Amino acid sequence: MLKVENIITRYGAIEALKGISLEAQHGEVTCLLGPNGAGKTTTMFTIAGILNSHSGSITLDGDDLTHQSAPAIVRKGIALVPENRLVFPEMSVADNLAAGAYCRSRSERAAIDQDLTEMYDRFPQLKERREQLGGTLSGGEQQMLAIGRALMARPKILMMDEPSLGLAPLIVDQIFKIIQQLNEEGVTILLVEQNAHMALKIAHKLYLLEQGTVTFEGTPAEMQQEELIQRAYLGTGD
Amino acid sequence: MPSDYVLTIISNIGMISLIALSAYLLLVTGQISFGQQAFFGISAYAGAIATTLWGWPFWLALIFGSGIAALAAGFIGLLTLRISGMYFSIATLAFAEMIRLSLFKLTYQIEIDGELIGPNGAGGFGEIRWIFDHNISVLEYTLLIYTVLLLVLVGMVLLERSRLGMIFRMLGGDALLTRTQGLNPVRYKIIAAVIAGFIAGLGGTLYAHSFTYIEPQIFNVMLGVHSLAYGLIGGLGTVLGPLIGVAIDIGFLESIRIFQGYRMIVFGGLVAVMLIFMPRGILDEARVHWIKTVVRRWFNA
Amino acid sequence: MTDFVQNCIDGLMFGSGYALLALGFTLVFGVMKRLNLSYGPSIMLGTYAGTWVYLNITDNAWLVALATVIATITVGIYVERLCFRAIRHGSTIASMVSSFAIWMQLEEVALHLLPERTYPFPAFFTATTFEFGPFYARSEHITMLLLTLVLLVLLHVFLFKTRPGLALRSVSDNPLASAYMGINNSNILFLAFALVSVLGGLAGFLILSADTQVTPFFGLWATFKGLIAMMLGGMGSLPGAILGGLLLGIVEANAFWYGGAVMRDLSAYLLLFVMLIVRPGGLMGQKIVAEQRAADERV
Repeated sequence: MLKVENIITRYGAIEALKGISLEAQHGEVTCLLGPNGAGKTTTMFTIAGILNSHSGSITLDGDDLTHQSAPAIVRKGIALVPENRLVFPEMSVADNLAAGAYCRSRSERAAIDQDLTEMYDRFPQLKERREQLGGTLSGGEQQMLAIGRALMARPKILMMDEPSLGLAPLIVDQIFKIIQQLNEEGVTILLVEQNAHMALKIAHKLYLLEQGTVTFEGTPAEMQQEELIQRAYLGTGD
Repeated sequence: MPSDYVLTIISNIGMISLIALSAYLLLVTGQISFGQQAFFGISAYAGAIATTLWGWPFWLALIFGSGIAALAAGFIGLLTLRISGMYFSIATLAFAEMIRLSLFKLTYQIEIDGELIGPNGAGGFGEIRWIFDHNISVLEYTLLIYTVLLLVLVGMVLLERSRLGMIFRMLGGDALLTRTQGLNPVRYKIIAAVIAGFIAGLGGTLYAHSFTYIEPQIFNVMLGVHSLAYGLIGGLGTVLGPLIGVAIDIGFLESIRIFQGYRMIVFGGLVAVMLIFMPRGILDEARVHWIKTVVRRWFNA
Repeated sequence: MTDFVQNCIDGLMFGSGYALLALGFTLVFGVMKRLNLSYGPSIMLGTYAGTWVYLNITDNAWLVALATVIATITVGIYVERLCFRAIRHGSTIASMVSSFAIWMQLEEVALHLLPERTYPFPAFFTATTFEFGPFYARSEHITMLLLTLVLLVLLHVFLFKTRPGLALRSVSDNPLASAYMGINNSNILFLAFALVSVLGGLAGFLILSADTQVTPFFGLWATFKGLIAMMLGGMGSLPGAILGGLLLGIVEANAFWYGGAVMRDLSAYLLLFVMLIVRPGGLMGQKIVAEQRAADERV
């Protein structure tokens, strides 16, 4: 289980995260909701070790990850599917996936090859385009590639930053189905989203982040009962 | 009365300051030019030809040499408009080398008093006798150099305070921003290039007449990089910056015997270190602003 | 006509040396998006070490080559630490100017190490001339071409078939995404410098053994040739570096034949200048990445 406690992250003098706490349970989909600038991506970056927190702690199954480097955190089992995919544009699909497995040790060669085959089975579109350059794939295909790439690290937790961003609604549906399926297979997912409707459908636990603080935490059912939230983010209620 | 040796160092500082100011001006507008030595060289040859082969008066030759340099600079500015950053810098380097190599091919000799005088390709251009023919002493010529330098400095200070100067700094900070102000960067880049070329040109003609012998090898990449480095070390916040850089190199490093033979090692290392810790030099914009504030407060007290 | 073809043949062979140098620039640029203008002088100091070994220790060409490569790597690390790692991310121009300054420094160091103007360098190959039809080629140059091809193949295998090669390509492609994969950008940068130092050291060794002498001008020469070749091909493109090198070789060989040494160098710069103005992306038409638009960037 991933435990984030009272994390304060600063950009220079500005506090982007003012002391947030959250938990992601194994086997569940935990979702961070919130408007732009709330600090969702900052949270992801802090957990992933890209940004250093000023205070607070991050632990994964008791293991302290707070001030570890990004590569170390990946090796500890947290993989990130970044906002806007960030596939390697000049490298082939196969190379992108191989890069995802980079931090796994050489002795896992056989396991890596097996994972690769599984990835192609899971995403037949990627299999068709193995030698194609990452930058030439469509938005949805890139998202699949980004997910596949992160999965190649055999992470304990898969973090996804706004997977629906910039994608057509049909593709968004597809991607969320994939996320749901992954979770059903046992993958723990920490999701950041602006698309509240989608998030409510698949999340087990939700956190609402506003201006650097967690203003709500609960199940989707509980969230739908909160009127203010309904109005602000779901466009429903009176 | 300072010795001729000291005067020579002082006059060198003066002349090199001009090419340093030339590179500095372009730096302020955000363009890193490795090629100002081309204009220095063009003017050196043109000005020297004017006095030595055509018998022109000095002031006319000075304007002529600098004018041609300015024209060439404007021309290059025009050609390189579409490219920026590293591409621009390498292009200036390429251009300067083309000029230097072309000078190897420049042969233009006239017979004067039974001798062949004039640029002779790799053989250089000697007998630039204007100083001797007019009995100018080392001191007088040094004063001449500094008069020109002073005029240029005054001009640049006025420029700094003018609207044009402000636009130049804006260009250096953010070209996109400049465009959104309704100003066309193109025009200002060319103006900056022409002015910078002219200033380098002034230095060039003065140099030719001071050393009385010039050859293409002098106007090489090293000179260009040095000119750039002076501003980077001394500071990009004020026209005094490049002068400080020149003084450190020629006044200090070149003159002190300990550094003999190690000047480049020290200077090169100094530039590298400055770029890490003080990328805009000793007197950068922030520090200059601070100094001005302190001075202003002191005056008001 | 035969002259022209002969020139082209010579040009191709010299061009292979330029291509190796250009590859060095390209690899470093690919990873860091910055130009290392101290590359030539680093190689020169490397060859100086080789020369020293040759003069004082042994005739063995392999050992001389080894000394050259090791020395180049050492200087390369110095340059990497001072001019690239220490300068904050994004200051592409600052690194370029810094490496230029260190170039001045290295040139003076070279002058102190070996004060004479030229030194003998071991001939790695026996000098014979091959004739085929109306054309001829010297064995040293053919060997240089062949060895360059071998190096290219090895480089390709390294980049595309090994794990560190994959990491290097990832960082070149997208450093941020690479960090997410657990790839340590600093280590990869170091790897890139070590790799290009090896390439450069070998290139220097090959070029100088064909010449059998080393002069203090080599540093400047190597930098400019490699730089021009790279920019002709397109900054950041590996195939471009090779094409650019070959193109440069051919143009120079012909310019030299028809116009002399000054013409040769002049045409190289002219070619570069025109290319930069007309098609800055080079032969391969590389897109000029937004990061390189340093018009808005301060030093």
